[in-house]
Amino acid sequence: MKKNTIKLLLIITPNLFASFPALANVSGGDWKPQIVEKMFVLPPQHLNKVLNNDFKTSILASNLRVTDNKIKSKIDKINELNSFLPKASKDETLEIKHQIILNKRDYIKDMNNLIIMKRQKLETKKAFFEKIKNNIKYTNKNKVNQSAFLNNKSKALERAQKLDLKIIEKTSLNINEKSKYFKQYETNKNAIEKLKIAIKNHPMNEKSVLSNNSDNKLEAISNYIYNIETEIAVLEMKEQMMSYMAKIVALDAMNLAENVSGINQKLDGSFTSGENYNDPENVIDIFTKL
Amino acid sequence: MYKSIAKLTLLISFVASSYANASPIGPLERERAKTLNLILDKTISIAERKKKLEKSKMKLLDLERMTINNKQINKNPDTHTTRAFEDFDLTFLVHNSFERNKPLSITWFEKIGLTTDNIMNTRVSRR
Repeated sequence: MKKNTIKLLLIITPNLFASFPALANVSGGDWKPQIVEKMFVLPPQHLNKVLNNDFKTSILASNLRVTDNKIKSKIDKINELNSFLPKASKDETLEIKHQIILNKRDYIKDMNNLIIMKRQKLETKKAFFEKIKNNIKYTNKNKVNQSAFLNNKSKALERAQKLDLKIIEKTSLNINEKSKYFKQYETNKNAIEKLKIAIKNHPMNEKSVLSNNSDNKLEAISNYIYNIETEIAVLEMKEQMMSYMAKIVALDAMNLAENVSGINQKLDGSFTSGENYNDPENVIDIFTKL
Repeated sequence: MYKSIAKLTLLISFVASSYANASPIGPLERERAKTLNLILDKTISIAERKKKLEKSKMKLLDLERMTINNKQINKNPDTHTTRAFEDFDLTFLVHNSFERNKPLSITWFEKIGLTTDNIMNTRVSRR
């Protein structure tokens, strides 16, 4: 039993150190936002919702959920094993501690995967918002260049719209001359006006008024990018935390291996034998006890 | 044989280039030119001109509305389009005539400076 445990621990311990750099390349699946360019005109908060919904259907999201559940089960298992420790015999304690170390190692592996996936999600989201930000900047730049033309056009549209009612009145007698487009224009114009009023009175409209302005939209998107960057920074700290956890587990494993082999390492680095019952010196108590 | 192929190639390239350079306000400009031609046409009677002008005016009105509401021209407008929108009164003649409450022909004559007073003044100065 003991020999097997030692062999196992000797295999596990170097693996604990070796596995972490390799994990850095693990990919938790793919997420390419399937959002059409037309959606870019949405207010940022709606765009964020659309993006989150898009993420929920991705492979990355399902992998994240699976890993999350695995982590929860590992923690439950560690807690359960810890609860067995006080009542366990010496051999059982060794086995339980071994199992705890194995579960901790798996937890760290899964947690590391989870962090990588979360990072992937945030990086994709950040790249998406960066793209929108660049689009808005490009559009704004073009708007400045075309501002004189657009100004004239919007004035023309305004003047034409003011005349719509007058044109209808003045052309009411020319029924035969009216084209299909003329009739459709009138019908559609009325429908558009009704829709405009409905939009104006919509309770959600006030909330999105600020974000409809391109400058405000740019600011809102910059805020999203900033928030994502802070989340990435937090993840980096968690990665550091995981590396410390991995070190502790590795040290625990080394300690357990020493206890099992009966060799203790002194602070100065020299080794002393632990409970070695093959030496008669260590069994004197057993023989002298009445 | 070779000459006919060369001619055909030239014709195709000409047609292709004319399509590529077509201004989005081209149809409006053509219809406006037709209407103005009708106004200046001396070969037809007043009644006939009035009838034809009424028809032409409605067609021009449709084209003006289409041009004003066309969002596609906002992207990279060519010089013709830019110039057209700089002078609303001349480009969108029908709208302007409704705005001024004056007939289409009078609106155009006045816009280009051909008013009765101006013409009379020109005659006086010649004497």
